[in-house]
Amino acid sequence: MTEQVNMTQAPAQRVKKRKIASLDRRKARSGWFFVLPFVIGFIVLYIPILFESIKSSFYIYKLGENTKEFVGWTNYSIALFEEADFVQTLLTGLGEMAFNIPVILIFSLFVAVILNQKMIGRAVFRAIFFLPVVVSTGMMESLMNSSYAAGGEHLDTGAAESATEAVASSMAVEQLLTSVFEGLGFGVGLVEYIVSAVESISSIINRSGVQILIFLASLQSISPAIYESCQIDGATSWETFWKITFPMVSPMILVNGIYTIIDNFTTDSNSVMQEINRVYGSSAMGESTGQNVSSAMGWMYFAVVILVVGLLAAIMSAYVFYQRRD
Amino acid sequence: MDNQPVVKRESKKKIRVEFERTSLKERLKTKYLSAFFLKNTLWFIFRLLLLIGIAFVVIQPFITMIIRSVMAPQDFADDSVMQVPRNLSMVIYKGVIQDLSYFEFFAETFMFSLVCALLQTFACCLIGYGLAKFKFRGSKIVFLAVILTLVIPHGTLQTALFVHFRYFDVLGIFSFLSGNTGIGWIDNIMGILPKEPFTGGGFSLLGTWWPLILMSATGLAFKNGLYIFMLRQFFRGVPDELEESAYLDGAGTFRTFVQVILPLSIPMMITVFLFAFCWQWTDDFYVPLFFDTLKTAERPALMYYITDTTKINSSLIFTAAKEIATAKGEGGFSVAIKYCCGLMACTPLVILYLFCQRYLVQGIERSGIVG
Repeated sequence: MTEQVNMTQAPAQRVKKRKIASLDRRKARSGWFFVLPFVIGFIVLYIPILFESIKSSFYIYKLGENTKEFVGWTNYSIALFEEADFVQTLLTGLGEMAFNIPVILIFSLFVAVILNQKMIGRAVFRAIFFLPVVVSTGMMESLMNSSYAAGGEHLDTGAAESATEAVASSMAVEQLLTSVFEGLGFGVGLVEYIVSAVESISSIINRSGVQILIFLASLQSISPAIYESCQIDGATSWETFWKITFPMVSPMILVNGIYTIIDNFTTDSNSVMQEINRVYGSSAMGESTGQNVSSAMGWMYFAVVILVVGLLAAIMSAYVFYQRRD
Repeated sequence: MDNQPVVKRESKKKIRVEFERTSLKERLKTKYLSAFFLKNTLWFIFRLLLLIGIAFVVIQPFITMIIRSVMAPQDFADDSVMQVPRNLSMVIYKGVIQDLSYFEFFAETFMFSLVCALLQTFACCLIGYGLAKFKFRGSKIVFLAVILTLVIPHGTLQTALFVHFRYFDVLGIFSFLSGNTGIGWIDNIMGILPKEPFTGGGFSLLGTWWPLILMSATGLAFKNGLYIFMLRQFFRGVPDELEESAYLDGAGTFRTFVQVILPLSIPMMITVFLFAFCWQWTDDFYVPLFFDTLKTAERPALMYYITDTTKINSSLIFTAAKEIATAKGEGGFSVAIKYCCGLMACTPLVILYLFCQRYLVQGIERSGIVG
């Protein structure tokens, strides 16, 4: 029997480590040149702002009196313990998020699958569904959802609410849905969840534009040959969806999930952000002013966001199916 | 066998084949009375209804806004008019254009958003390309920094942004040069505030376009991290061979970028430009923050004169129209004015979007985020 030559060691010992070829090094240096605007901006603008913001959450500034005193964790303790609202709002925000994210993901996947099929008017529908992303903003949302109730009985809801909310939150629809789902044998909690999801359909539709787009693009990258072979083998469309489509878009579910969480967390209509803005505007709060407390609240909120995103990414990465390209 | 074809020879070079075809009735029956066809039709109808329903939910606010904004003032006082206006009048539009000086605002907002969006697009393309194609030592760190700018909610940085641009000072150089502060410039490095805040040097950039222009040019503006991420994924999908062939022909890296890579990525750039333009146009965080000192009416943001009630109240056309609406309809009429303002502010975006929307799916699909 011939001796087994240990091939793993010999090459490394034989050849000295070579320096990077000068073309590579030149290329690496020009990489810095491309990234230069960001690096400059980050160092000159962003890091000082980050620094100041973190530091200022440990201080009390009174803008009127131009003083600054170091108070350590006071701002944080005011936010957590003395102000009753913050922890409450944080939990509500997390609850909202836990509710909205699955609904948005499921809905946008469903719509993307439908929009992917060939039909008349497909381009028109795609254009319409993506419109809220482009147009919708804080002001437009408040315009669309404002309920005008000052006099004039016949104009008593805002533009968006007048048709959909009036129908969706009417008692009849709620009872109908509840009875249907209870008849199917779902538990009460799930039924309530579904009913409240249907009622807030307007806000869900308006917030899933980008997710629909990403899912759509991902669906288009699945080659039709796979579907054809499934059809030849006699799979129903239900089976095709769960066995083929769903695993192949699962990386996108992760991406969309993270994007939705970040979007939800940083948009101003989130309840926690509104709370932070409100505190920012208020003048005196315990020992320190509203601005300092709001900055402390902002940082705690950010820590919670990072935690949640990290958790979600870790959990979902385990389940994601990556198609190996051999 | 029923359908044996009968071949007849008509002449030397022509033959005629006759065969019995299944009757029309049977053919139609098998085609249209089958479960397959029925299932497809039902699905078609169901899908169409579903999509129309969802599209209605999206479009309906706009329809209401359009209808309400062309209603004549006397209709607001009229109880019997609900959704369909009885008299049409363009008085609100006239008022907005004349008294609220729509076109001046429009021009200013358009220029501002255009400049910022173009800067953001180019900056993000440069940065995305650098992160995608070059392996230099700090690229992972820079990428993490990009993600960090995306994740941190801008509300937490509100005060710091304001103060930083109020006393704008690059690494303490300006106050050092002007000798304006009692503290040495070492303390001003990295923005560590001097012991006496607000007497530091530097100059105020608030109320000008500069804060947002600086942030756009460096890829730090609103959601630029997302654009950089998308562009990085896209450039990763561009084959290396293209660049290498350009290098072989003697082009430097920047020239390769401009002449080879950019023309390939036009759909993606249009997507990023569309996003940047729209989000800058409808911006409701940075503009109030940086233009705080200016009155609402002077900010380069079309959205803000919606809330400028003083101007609305002082407008002659509107007061005349409100007379017609009488007290009962006045509330509805004010809301209609707001609707009209909102429409006028959003219509340019919708038009731009309609032009660019076919690039959107194309851009994302080729961006390599997917697949």
